[in-house]
Amino acid sequence: MTLAPTRGSKRRAIATPAVARRPLGFFLALPPIILILLFVGFPIVLAFAFSIGLTGGLNHVIASIGLNVHEAENWWGTPAAYIEVLSNSRILRDLSVTVGVTALSTVTVIFLALGIGLFLKLRGGRIARLLSGLAIIPLFIPVVIASWAIVTFYSGDGFVRSVFAQFGVEAPVWAFTMVAVVIGSVWTSLPFAVLMITSGLQAIPNAMIEAARDAGAGFLRIVVSILIPMAFVPILIAVTFTAIGVVGSFTVPYFTGPNAPNMLGVSMSNYFSAFNQPQQSVVMAFIVFVIASGIAAAYVWANFRSAKDQGKV
Amino acid sequence: MTLIEEIHSTTPIHRETDAGGLRGLRVRGLHKVLGGRTIIDNLDLTVRDGELVSLLGPSGCGKTTTLRMIAGFLAPDAGSIQVHDREVSDLGAEKRPSAMVFQNYALWPHMTVQNNVGFPLKLRRLGKKEIEQRVDAVLALVNLLHHKNSRPARISGGEQQRVALARALVQEPELLLLDEPLSNLDAKLRVKVREDIREIQQRLGITTLIVTHDQEEAISMSDRIAVMNAGKIEQFSRPAELYSRPETEFVATFIGSLNRIEGALVNGVIVPGDDVVGIRPEDVVFTLHASFDARPAVVERVVPHGHFHEIYLKRDDATLRAFASGLPPAPGDRGHASIQNALTFRQGRLVTTTRVTA
Amino acid sequence: MTMITKRARKSAARLNFSRPLSGLFCVLMVVFILGPLAWLGIRAFAESWTFPNLGPDGWTLRWWSVVLGDETLGRAVQNSLALAALTVLVSACICLPAAYAFARYEFWGRRTFLIGLFALNAFPKMGLYVTIASLFYALNLMSTVLGVLIVHVLGTVVFMTWIPAAAFAAVPRSLEEAARDAGASKLRVFFSVTFPLALPGILVAAVMSFLASFDEAQGSYLIGAPDIMTMPTQMYTLVLNYPNQVAAVFSILLAIPSVALLLAAHKHIVGGTLAEGFQIK
Ligand SMILES: Nc1ncnc2c1ncn2[C@@H]1O[C@H](COP(=O)(O)OP(=O)(O)OP(=O)(O)O)[C@@H](O)[C@H]1O
Ligand SMILES: [Mg+2]
Repeated sequence: MTLAPTRGSKRRAIATPAVARRPLGFFLALPPIILILLFVGFPIVLAFAFSIGLTGGLNHVIASIGLNVHEAENWWGTPAAYIEVLSNSRILRDLSVTVGVTALSTVTVIFLALGIGLFLKLRGGRIARLLSGLAIIPLFIPVVIASWAIVTFYSGDGFVRSVFAQFGVEAPVWAFTMVAVVIGSVWTSLPFAVLMITSGLQAIPNAMIEAARDAGAGFLRIVVSILIPMAFVPILIAVTFTAIGVVGSFTVPYFTGPNAPNMLGVSMSNYFSAFNQPQQSVVMAFIVFVIASGIAAAYVWANFRSAKDQGKV
Repeated sequence: MTLIEEIHSTTPIHRETDAGGLRGLRVRGLHKVLGGRTIIDNLDLTVRDGELVSLLGPSGCGKTTTLRMIAGFLAPDAGSIQVHDREVSDLGAEKRPSAMVFQNYALWPHMTVQNNVGFPLKLRRLGKKEIEQRVDAVLALVNLLHHKNSRPARISGGEQQRVALARALVQEPELLLLDEPLSNLDAKLRVKVREDIREIQQRLGITTLIVTHDQEEAISMSDRIAVMNAGKIEQFSRPAELYSRPETEFVATFIGSLNRIEGALVNGVIVPGDDVVGIRPEDVVFTLHASFDARPAVVERVVPHGHFHEIYLKRDDATLRAFASGLPPAPGDRGHASIQNALTFRQGRLVTTTRVTA
Repeated sequence: MTMITKRARKSAARLNFSRPLSGLFCVLMVVFILGPLAWLGIRAFAESWTFPNLGPDGWTLRWWSVVLGDETLGRAVQNSLALAALTVLVSACICLPAAYAFARYEFWGRRTFLIGLFALNAFPKMGLYVTIASLFYALNLMSTVLGVLIVHVLGTVVFMTWIPAAAFAAVPRSLEEAARDAGASKLRVFFSVTFPLALPGILVAAVMSFLASFDEAQGSYLIGAPDIMTMPTQMYTLVLNYPNQVAAVFSILLAIPSVALLLAAHKHIVGGTLAEGFQIK
């Protein structure tokens, strides 16, 4: 077949050069992998063993320090800790709050990032560039500061209430509520999503949009039928990283959220340090991990699928 | 014998036989300034119903800019654009009755060939059945039915080009616009696809404007050619006429090859003067024997061009290029060179054509 | 009259984007992003603040001397800077060769490795630190510099591998081959061609890693506190024990290195180097 040299085939040629199939690459790639296996993979396995009540070996220290540890009588473990956590109505409330905040924040972040990206792509100009630059700023502000700034901004004596008070209006206090947690999550997740989505949208040739206009498509049609599908992978990366970041977040809900119910990241830390119940804390970590891996799997799947669709695999 | 034909300086640059009540495309006084520079300068252009017109010019002369204003992607600063007697210059691209084939085809990579072609119809809210029928019909027209379900990245450049054409044709546009549609194809395919385009265009009788910088392409496809230079149309006429009667020095040098010599032609000899004499290489005849009007000449250089040779001839009045087919002379050969046809330009405009008949 | 038609034409050539709506969007975004920072920042110079007022009751630099005179806070600043620099260094040594390998070699498990790195990101940070803590207890790494350093490096592995890998991959092979052709050794080619061309990507990765380390609070707090305090972990105690203004001063101090880096690497980060790194190929 006389295939035109597409971007895909070129990239492939770069990615799989004939000369480079040597073990050297494997060994060069090893150090970070070992680091991760050692300090992430191994602890996770260990922690999983601990969560099902296997308290021998390296888990011995923590099991003896912690309170309320369910120990297994046999080698395959016991689901007792999971049962306890999942039947605890306060933790269940935390779980639903976590899912809700994650969904709401992710949708808001993607919506805003798409808005900025489309503004930049379709209208352009100084204001659009300024806006996209503005949205990057949170990337450089430590999350601790951001959280604290947001609390002060939306607190009882904060800016929002002060402004409304000038007109004699009593505005709600958002600090230390889930609203502030969502605001904080959106604030801190926005830069990454904006970077991903704007660069994805900018990479679409203008001729693709013009061809659609020429075919008779209006603004909404172009966005839905051309821009979003063509920037699907970057958008999906933005979605997954935002959702994974929010679902496991600690600092933002810790500073800006209420005592209870709050997100699982906070309860996890409370159970670990304040209540000294490490096993329950680890169980919660695995619950969040299951949610996060679901999101991550969607990302990996879509990445492969789109590569296939465009003839890259 | 020498025939000299005076050209009246009042000859209009654009010749349009039908002025009012016109179907097709009519552009009047189009003007565009970009980056502080006048890119399109008060441009007029008429494409008659069913006609194929090429917009031909050197790189950067404003062809794409003109086409994009006609398609509606760029707002003109002034001027009117009418398609089938309807003013369209205030309409967005999505509302204009024209369809465009883009230089890099601009096929949407996430849609199959079928969906690419069907997209304009989907926007017109046609039924599924009808869309499918019309897509099939137009894919059959461009000979691509077998690639219906392929993705653009999986088909060849020539096939992609035909998909882009199909996507424009399926809209049954009143005006078809093509921006250098063949520039990404190799030389052989380019010839084939341009014949395909011409054939389909004539079969459907569709009014067409093609942008190109390839003169051979323009000459072989077009009913008429508008030669553009620096934002203006220099000449608008039939391909043959463009070659034999270029109205400006620019057109004469841009189309085909030209010996350009400052001076005047008197009795077959170039004498000093303020005008410019243009002689096509094929109008320079080199013989070994002396003949009427010929002057002695020495072969300076021979450049092979495949099926013919270009030879540089030094005469006592000028150095002339000529074409020779068959066995070429060798450098240093002596003979006689005569000028058979010449064009004389004054201030860039054609003033006389001189024909020497034996 | 002509103005109107010109405007109409402009909007016909562009897509319709409602003007007042986008204006409102811009204003709201400015307030949303900058508002909290400004509102907190002003406090660093504020005497006291009475509720419905939009400005403070008076201005002072008193809070700065409180922070700058406090020894524990000073030590936290030092700790943070040293730790961040060390983290970038260690992370670069571990990850950059791997990044090059991912870009230039095809080897067994390449894709699995890339996705494995991503999986690290999928496990919730707090949960990860809790699990690491139980391991660190056993290994006696709790409240040690090494323990905190490991936690910080873990947080940078994805940046330090993915972004430079994309940057290495983007260096055209023909440039390397031309240098080889000119007689340069493999190592020479790497240092005089590949590395300089990939430098923007590596720079972005270093900046992101520095920020990640500088920003890291949860892990440092869990593993290092109270013996090893960094600026962000100090912030936890600060906001509870000091007046708001002190936290504001501290925030400004904490933001200075970040903003300096922002200005240094802004072009590359916005230019797509960062985004390019997050697409697995
Ligand atoms: N947005 C712009 N701002 C400033 N100048 C522009 C802009 N767009 C085009 N130009 C200039 O206008 C001139 C005409 O451009 P145009 O693309 O129409 O040329 P063209 O005839 O199509 O050339 P080519 O054959 O190379 O495609 C060029 O000199 C170009 O630099
Ligand atoms: Mg052009």
